Amino acid sequence: RGQRGRNRGCVLTAIHLNVTDLGLGYETKEELIFRYCSGSCDAAETMYDKILKNLSKNRRLVSDKVGQACCRPIAYDDDLSFLDDNLVYHILRKHSAKRCGCI
Amino acid sequence: ASAKSNHCLDAAKACNLNDNCKKLRSSYISICNREISPAERCNRRKCHKALRQFFDRVPGEYTYRMLFCSCRDRACAERRRQTILPSCSYEDKEKPNCLDLRGVCRTDHLCRSRLADFHANCRASYQTLTSCPADNYQACLGSYAGMIGFDMTPNYVDSNPTGIVVSPWCSCRGSGNMEEECEKFLRDFTENPCLRNAIQAFGNGTDVNLSPKSP
Repeated sequence: RGQRGRNRGCVLTAIHLNVTDLGLGYETKEELIFRYCSGSCDAAETMYDKILKNLSKNRRLVSDKVGQACCRPIAYDDDLSFLDDNLVYHILRKHSAKRCGCI
Repeated sequence: ASAKSNHCLDAAKACNLNDNCKKLRSSYISICNREISPAERCNRRKCHKALRQFFDRVPGEYTYRMLFCSCRDRACAERRRQTILPSCSYEDKEKPNCLDLRGVCRTDHLCRSRLADFHANCRASYQTLTSCPADNYQACLGSYAGMIGFDMTPNYVDSNPTGIVVSPWCSCRGSGNMEEECEKFLRDFTENPCLRNAIQAFGNGTDVNLSPKSP
């Protein structure tokens, strides 16, 4: 989207986990691929970010860490379902990232 | 960690690590598991549709593995039985007569043709080693899976790990003078050596030599 090259640090990473590793209280032996967003968002992306950056450079803001863009999911993976040890099905929604962006 | 292997669990894990299988599995589970009201367990019609999509659109290497996994204990066999969420897709308040159910199935052209496929591919043969027509296990398993999501949806009747019995949700009670024909129809599911051998061979991985993959 014309943003290529900027914020190259914000990337999607996948790890293979047990559902129990998520710490959500489920008892099951099923597994999943968990994808998360990480990396820096230093380069300004929007007009808002540019202004914030300029204001903090000119010391017009109280703190220079105010409201900076973060590397966050901008789309989520499909739902994940699993059967727990008590034979009850569960569904996880918006549990894993599909795409990342500085927002 | 226990060393006990659960092939049905392994099959579920493999599905969830594949994006397509995971997506369609979650889709049918969420639909079949959604309670409409205390009186209505779920929307059976939608559940059946989602199950058909799962078996149509996900390759057999995932779906058959979940459906026909081999088990040594009840936990595994219960998981196998739960694959299609039988409390929504299979069980009903009343158990219809099997010939009546067959009649209902035959009014739907797809159900009718899937049932005919099943009979053609799984009918016990006494001329082959495996009891299956042309010793073709895959064709039988495929047409069994092809009936899931229709009126004739078959499933494992209990969580017995080794004595595999599958059946549609019907009985031969109230057959009148059609008793014999009804029993004969039902036995194609419950006491069919071709189907039983095909499921067992798939679970044990001994079916590979008999059904070479097309080039």
